[in-house]
Amino acid sequence: MTELPLVIIDVQRGGPSTGLPTKTEQADLLQAMFGRNGEAPVCVIAARTPRDCFYMAIEAARLALKYMTPVILLTDGYLANGSEPWRIPNISELPDITVKFQTDPKDFHPYTRDNNLARPWAVPGTPGLEHRIGGLEKSDIYGNVSYDPENHDKMVKLRTEKIKRMVNDIPDLKVDGEEKGELLVLGWGSTYGTIKDAVIKARHNGLIVSQAHLRYLNPLPKNTESVLKSFKKVLIPEINLGQLARLIRSEYLIPVEQLNLVRGLPFKVNDILAKITELLGGGNGK
Amino acid sequence: MANNAEVAQKYTAKDFTSDQDVRWCPGCGDYSILAQVQRSFPELIETNKEKIVWISGIGCSSRFPYYMNTYGFHGIHGRAPIIASGVKVANPDLSVWVATGDGDLLSIGGNHFIHACRKNVDIKVLLFNNRIYGLTKGQYSPTSEKGKVTKTTPFGSVDYPFNPASLALGSDATFVARSIDRNPKHLQEMIKRVGKHKGLALLEIYQNCNIFNDGAFSILTEKVTKDDHVLILEHGKPMVFGKNLDKGIKLDGPHPVVVDISNGKYSKDDLWVHDEFADTPIHAMILAHLDERPEFPTPIGVFRQYFKQTYDEGIRDQINKIVEKKGKGDLEKVVFGGNTWEVN
Repeated sequence: MTELPLVIIDVQRGGPSTGLPTKTEQADLLQAMFGRNGEAPVCVIAARTPRDCFYMAIEAARLALKYMTPVILLTDGYLANGSEPWRIPNISELPDITVKFQTDPKDFHPYTRDNNLARPWAVPGTPGLEHRIGGLEKSDIYGNVSYDPENHDKMVKLRTEKIKRMVNDIPDLKVDGEEKGELLVLGWGSTYGTIKDAVIKARHNGLIVSQAHLRYLNPLPKNTESVLKSFKKVLIPEINLGQLARLIRSEYLIPVEQLNLVRGLPFKVNDILAKITELLGGGNGK
Repeated sequence: MANNAEVAQKYTAKDFTSDQDVRWCPGCGDYSILAQVQRSFPELIETNKEKIVWISGIGCSSRFPYYMNTYGFHGIHGRAPIIASGVKVANPDLSVWVATGDGDLLSIGGNHFIHACRKNVDIKVLLFNNRIYGLTKGQYSPTSEKGKVTKTTPFGSVDYPFNPASLALGSDATFVARSIDRNPKHLQEMIKRVGKHKGLALLEIYQNCNIFNDGAFSILTEKVTKDDHVLILEHGKPMVFGKNLDKGIKLDGPHPVVVDISNGKYSKDDLWVHDEFADTPIHAMILAHLDERPEFPTPIGVFRQYFKQTYDEGIRDQINKIVEKKGKGDLEKVVFGGNTWEVN
């Protein structure tokens, strides 16, 4: 409601409640997507490897600042306790995420919007820009408390549209392997390495299978639908009861296959390989 | 460049009034608090207006920031002290004020409040205490008296109320005061005192909710009763009260007693002399609990004030010292430091 930048890092563990405190799980996706009162979309992204945590943390900050919105970065126990060697980038290679605060009092109103629908950020102490923000609905442009029905409808839609437009600022979903075919294994988060291994092994065994891994969950990359529809079957392995599967089904109205093991442990390569083999019937679906 | 005194003079109460309609019920004590703040600020504020920030939580009181033409943030229930702490630490030049109520600060916000006291964050907390949840239409609050019949306690509440002054003193707040909405002069004086304090300052304001808890403090505000029931604390002065200034508080060890100073047995010289700057909270604590016995008056004024490093100063000092010792931070060095190696 205040449309201020905020990065929330959710290192998921086995739940609910105190659950399995030191174990891994991917069961907070729907909470990150929808776990608020009201229509309150936020950007949700997920790191897929220990190295990716570094870049996705910067990406979370970049998006939060540019779009004046909370961004939830999902990782999990497996990533948090994992490690891998990687080449440290020079600082000059990192994106510039410098903030430009509003300082010009001319025509300043707290809820005007730029091309990205982000509102200006004027911090306390800036002369001439004194204004009030808070949890109550605000009037478009002026930011005064407003209970006007039409205004609320407009603001709800503006806040939603802002998150949707971020799609133009995020990379397309990449496919490893053939760009179309019998089976795509779609994952998100820490399952990347396991899925990759399973897919490589399956291909060694002569199966035709590709992999795609989502790092952006809200909004989903622009080409997600066309990628998914290029395959006869889509398998979504998750360490939950099918939260991404539910999102994909409702977003694109396509059937998906699920593999769900909620043991507080990462998948084993063989868990996924067995499912791939089962789905392709040992003969590429023929 | 204008000096501070000139800057301060250029403001009037109107400069602190926002263009928003005030939406409290007619007759609400909050109007008086808003008016006294707006009247006190021109004299109090020795800085530019853009340096003032009002933070609130949820409740009638928490609408306050919308009515002040300063920076303002209407937060979530109970969280005003922690939001204010963040604002102050991020920019120590700001004068950060919290508008809150008994439900907001002492129920869901109790934890944030005691820790803000403990840390001595330099924020000014105005607690609008009406001993009821007014915004939600009359449920008992953490300061409602035991036995109070409300919508959520139809047969009377069975729990004991918080005593905000005692809670703040017990949490080592560096400034604790109390005033009443119906005593505008005293309230203005207290607002100015709060504003001048460096460190966490609590000003508890007895505030009448004329819709859901009307008359909660009438004994302290009605002409016929107030003199016999209010003790105005003044530093260095003996504690005298009563319509004819004929009663006083005497201290027998840790025990306060009410004495008659009109019959020659006791004089003002026998009375307890108020010391705002006492080096322990013990005397202030006795005052905070004074009116729990029926014959004793309710103290208003400054209970205690002392000084120690504020939280924001502590953070700044630490950063400055470390920078002095180790030099300014270098992101590249941090990233390439630690357990890194080069592969050829």
